[in-house]
Amino acid sequence: MSVDLSVHLGRLRLRNPIATASGTFGYGLEFAEFVDLGAIGAISVKGLSLRPCLGNPPPRICETDAGMLNAIGLQNVGIDEFLDGKLPKLVEKGATVIANVWGDTEAEYRAVVERIGDDPRVAAVELNVSCPNVVKGGMVFGNDPAALHALVAAVRSATRLPLVVKLSPNVTDIVTAARAAVDGGADVLSLINTLVGLSIDVETREPKIGFTTGGLSGPAIRPVALRMVWEVRKALPNVPIFGIGGIETVEHVLEFLIAGANAVQVGTANFRDPGVCGRLVRDLEVWCERHGVARVAELSGTLKTRPRPEKAYA
Amino acid sequence: MVVNEALRILRTVRYDAAHFSVFLQAGSIAAAAKPGQFVMVQAGDGLRPYLRRAFSVADVTTVAGVPGFELVVRAVGVGTEALGRFAEGTPIPVLGPLGVPFPLDDLKQTDRVALVAGGIGLAPLVLLSRRLAERGIPADLFYGGRNESEVLKRPDFERFLGAHRCRYATDDGSLGKKGRVTDILGSALEAGTSYRRVYACGPLPMFRTLAAMLEAAGVEGSFALESEMACGFGVCLGCVLPGRDGRFHTICTEGPCLPPTAIDWSRV
Repeated sequence: MSVDLSVHLGRLRLRNPIATASGTFGYGLEFAEFVDLGAIGAISVKGLSLRPCLGNPPPRICETDAGMLNAIGLQNVGIDEFLDGKLPKLVEKGATVIANVWGDTEAEYRAVVERIGDDPRVAAVELNVSCPNVVKGGMVFGNDPAALHALVAAVRSATRLPLVVKLSPNVTDIVTAARAAVDGGADVLSLINTLVGLSIDVETREPKIGFTTGGLSGPAIRPVALRMVWEVRKALPNVPIFGIGGIETVEHVLEFLIAGANAVQVGTANFRDPGVCGRLVRDLEVWCERHGVARVAELSGTLKTRPRPEKAYA
Repeated sequence: MVVNEALRILRTVRYDAAHFSVFLQAGSIAAAAKPGQFVMVQAGDGLRPYLRRAFSVADVTTVAGVPGFELVVRAVGVGTEALGRFAEGTPIPVLGPLGVPFPLDDLKQTDRVALVAGGIGLAPLVLLSRRLAERGIPADLFYGGRNESEVLKRPDFERFLGAHRCRYATDDGSLGKKGRVTDILGSALEAGTSYRRVYACGPLPMFRTLAAMLEAAGVEGSFALESEMACGFGVCLGCVLPGRDGRFHTICTEGPCLPPTAIDWSRV
């Protein structure tokens, strides 16, 4: 049986639902030795800013149980170097490229997206409104629905490419943030970014990370991410979703699809195993064959929930 | 060419409660590995420890006739402890060889070099000393630790180094001269020994002192630097150290072997 792995996230068409998460896959080219870049659904590159960014002073990362904290501070080569230096090589390797972008201000976000414009080498633009590791910008937008709405609307008119908005989980209600992004003009939502965390060296009584707090990623966050994908899918059934958070195996991919994602982005697992995305594409195909699933897109949003009791009885 | 492969543990040799060597089958990594390069090793079930750990390729050798390479390890946490618990024959995921090796090609047989190690920093200098011996380049080893148990006495080291001297220093004087390893190197420099290059690996305070000492003496250095890293191949950007040029140097790809003058030691 041949399996159709392709998925559509609105106008964004992917050969399969296994994409990479921004910040964990460099500019893609670093992985060319380990995985066929043209075989992955999409590559969301390291968050790009208008000018190159040096990032935060070290220490920037620490391991946690089943995950890690990072506060890299969005170090990147800047949009111009990406478009001129990196993107042509990615295109040559057959990659489907999502340009993840960020700014300190609404004007900077818009300026980065204007540089991309309608560039046909870019499959979609992904707004990072959820980085917890920079002093300005980033999560400020992700945490304030009105600011998020205004930001997405301001960026929307700068490109006709599909616009993805990557949401922060560091909010009381993810659905409020999701609605704000969609009302502002988002075509697709990515969720979740990292959860703000803290890790302490008890000998020195200092935070293990120079920025004090960092973003938690890895398997530790997967149940939270799944719950948020499920909530957004219920509230906004027609909005395509990239599910992100601690994906390491095909079972994890399936969990996200069933919860309501249309595709997934694999993040921290790329650090542990640079070949993981290629393996997940193959494993997903095998799983679908064995389970008689002809089109992987059928799996999306098929969670069978049990009715919850109206009240607990003593 | 960097390879991501599962390699079997050929042998684990324990030196004491904290120190051991793990010999892995060669795979494609051993033949390609140069002194100062490292591998990323997955120790454990993938949840704890979650990330791979970076280890210098300490030596390229054989175990009972089987080609392999050696990692010299000090158990300091969940990753290093897990690595020491595997049974012989267990396959473990290894990525490598990674990073920029020690510069060697420009050395001539008339050059003399120094190797400076602090504690477990001995690891990358074993393979370096083997390659130096093969090329007939004279080297002096200066090796220090807090006490005798932190200094791994390696007979093979003295063999590689041939007629040359291994000098030791410990903070408590339990082995060699009482004091820091940088003190005994400093004495040699003051006595007029000149080195074409000083290769070093050790803890941060040793690097800091040595960087200042080499700069004052006008001696070239190459340091195998250490920094916590998630990936080992330049994408997590977690392992950076501040450079004198104002940039952050990605230790896994720009290093681990860098001249000490590249780093702004006042900001490390």
